[in-house]
Amino acid sequence: MDQQFIPRGLQRTSFTRFVTWILPWILLLGIGIYAMYLCLADGLYHTNMDNRFAFGLWIYLDLTIIALGAGAFFTGFLLYILRRDELKAVINSAVVLGLICYSGAVLVLMVDVGQPLRAWFTFWHPNTHSMLAEVTFCLTCYLTVLVIEYLPVVLKNRKLRQIPRFLVFEFELHKVMPVFAGVGTFLSFFHQGSLGGLYGVLVGRPFSFREVLGIWPSTFYLFIISAAAAGPSFVLLTTWLVQKLSGKKVVKPEVMQFLGKVSGWMLIVYVLLKAIDTLYWINHTVPAEGGLAYSFYTSQGFGTWILFAEIVFLGLVPALVLLSKRMREKSAVLVGAAILVCCGIVMNRFVMTIQTLALPTLPFDLLMSYVPSWQEVATFMAVVAYGVLVYSLSFRYMTLFPQERDMRQ
Amino acid sequence: MFPFIYEFQWTPYHVVFLGLFFSVVGVILSAVSLALLRAFKTLRRRRHEAVQWEAEFEDLPVAARTCRHQIAGEVAHRTCNHEFDCRTCQAHQAFLAKLSPELAPAGTQESVFGFSLPLDRYYHRGHTWVTYDGDGIYTVGLDDFGNRMIGTPDSVELPAVGATLSANGSGWLIKKGRAALRILAPIDGVVVETGSAKDGWYLKVHGGEPEVETRHLLRGEEIKPWILRELERLQGAVSPAGVGMTLADGGELVPDMSKHAPHVDWDGVWGEMFLQA
Repeated sequence: MDQQFIPRGLQRTSFTRFVTWILPWILLLGIGIYAMYLCLADGLYHTNMDNRFAFGLWIYLDLTIIALGAGAFFTGFLLYILRRDELKAVINSAVVLGLICYSGAVLVLMVDVGQPLRAWFTFWHPNTHSMLAEVTFCLTCYLTVLVIEYLPVVLKNRKLRQIPRFLVFEFELHKVMPVFAGVGTFLSFFHQGSLGGLYGVLVGRPFSFREVLGIWPSTFYLFIISAAAAGPSFVLLTTWLVQKLSGKKVVKPEVMQFLGKVSGWMLIVYVLLKAIDTLYWINHTVPAEGGLAYSFYTSQGFGTWILFAEIVFLGLVPALVLLSKRMREKSAVLVGAAILVCCGIVMNRFVMTIQTLALPTLPFDLLMSYVPSWQEVATFMAVVAYGVLVYSLSFRYMTLFPQERDMRQ
Repeated sequence: MFPFIYEFQWTPYHVVFLGLFFSVVGVILSAVSLALLRAFKTLRRRRHEAVQWEAEFEDLPVAARTCRHQIAGEVAHRTCNHEFDCRTCQAHQAFLAKLSPELAPAGTQESVFGFSLPLDRYYHRGHTWVTYDGDGIYTVGLDDFGNRMIGTPDSVELPAVGATLSANGSGWLIKKGRAALRILAPIDGVVVETGSAKDGWYLKVHGGEPEVETRHLLRGEEIKPWILRELERLQGAVSPAGVGMTLADGGELVPDMSKHAPHVDWDGVWGEMFLQA
């Protein structure tokens, strides 16, 4: 039925099976849109956040998917700036993932902030002293860059490329792609960093407060490096998932191994810096404020195991695995390590968002608990459904993996 | 955001922050404008066919982009990076200086792996042939390999007399089943007459000097190894995904292959063999 739109030489499942696959996700998206409508029309009382627990599931989701979406900028940087041509095999997929992650994050932010009709205020009257002003500007610009980077992928569709205007524009746009890769890297450096810096400057939250290195707190740099480590692993993981779900080889194993190697190197640097930062925080930053770092790990559920899991089990272990050529050559080990890296970033963003806010800060404070409302969960799931739908449609109708045709044989 | 907005301050924070923001926006807009401008110029100069080939060539599988000098055994491994246009390829000139493939005598009929491929013709990698008839006139047709793959087409759309062709651009269109195939023009020139499959040729084209116009086309001793490689590519393309080449060796290609193997994705196979992404 839709064969004329499917890239030549690539085999895709039947239209009926494809519709059956996407229907549940459309349903989930529909429920989420209804939940978003409730929040936007009636107000944020539909959520379980309040003035004290102002960052909930949505901000946690934002931070996580923005970190996972870093694969787009980092793959682009390696391909177009450092000329690692082997990454041509996954760049389209990385761009789609980046677009999904960033557009999903912006969508949830619009619901979270509320009053979308006044969104332009943040640009018109920016508070240049706020990390969030910088995040807003960079996110908007980078989302624009991702849309431009996604455009050639769409215009290369078999039917669209038959229109000379689209064909030529796609070709010329592709030529200036290194410019967008450079701009994307510049913007990502700042907004990934500012998202981390946001927690580092919270003087009233000693669990996340960090001292300034240069002009930013150490969390600024840690967020950039951790995102650069997790991005390639997420691209690797989604590529593996696509291969499993479609039953087709779409990239050469060497490409997957290279992504793992990049992720491993970035992660080992991150683990080293994170360990130094944590030790400095335990021995200097917290005592200087008159506290004891151990006290942050005595609350129910938030024990020192979190620190161990984040730095060692989900940091050092996958980093060492990915740095070993012998280990990378074993597909199951490579994918297992990539899963650990992604879980590590998910946990880090959870600790920075939820644990930071939940921990008591004054002597009479208690550990705060927060359970998201169904509207929050439905909105969260809508972003996941949106991502699956955009990726599924892109995989079916566009060439996300240029090596797929070669891999047939 | 701007000096005329009441909260704007001439402080380093504002100036640096907004300066960087506007620089980024400026770079993004400039890059998009540049792409649009170049696209507009290309379309105005009617160069979109050349752009299409350049874009499609890059998307071809590596096996389809093998350099003719690798096929001829003159070099162990070389992938073409010149879109099969040897006329301006420095490497081709260097190879020719070392070893020039000799043109077989005119009229020699050679059966290559069961295909009728007269060696007085020049062959394009997209399975078209060219002969020079003199006075700047060239005859263009589909080679036996291409004919056997497609069989009898449902329809053929030839360019009008007077139409300008460019090498590796669209020659003519063949439709069969749900596939619409753009057969690549082997040479530059202007169409002066059109034929049909019955005539054994499709186009007569007025072009330039044969020494220059046919420099990128295969000939003589290059044909046999090229056809062998094409057979291998065809085997790979029609074999089930992930299985690799499983067809029995030997034998000849039957005419109208698609009729004999209806389960194969012929749209994909033809696309690959006729060099289309």
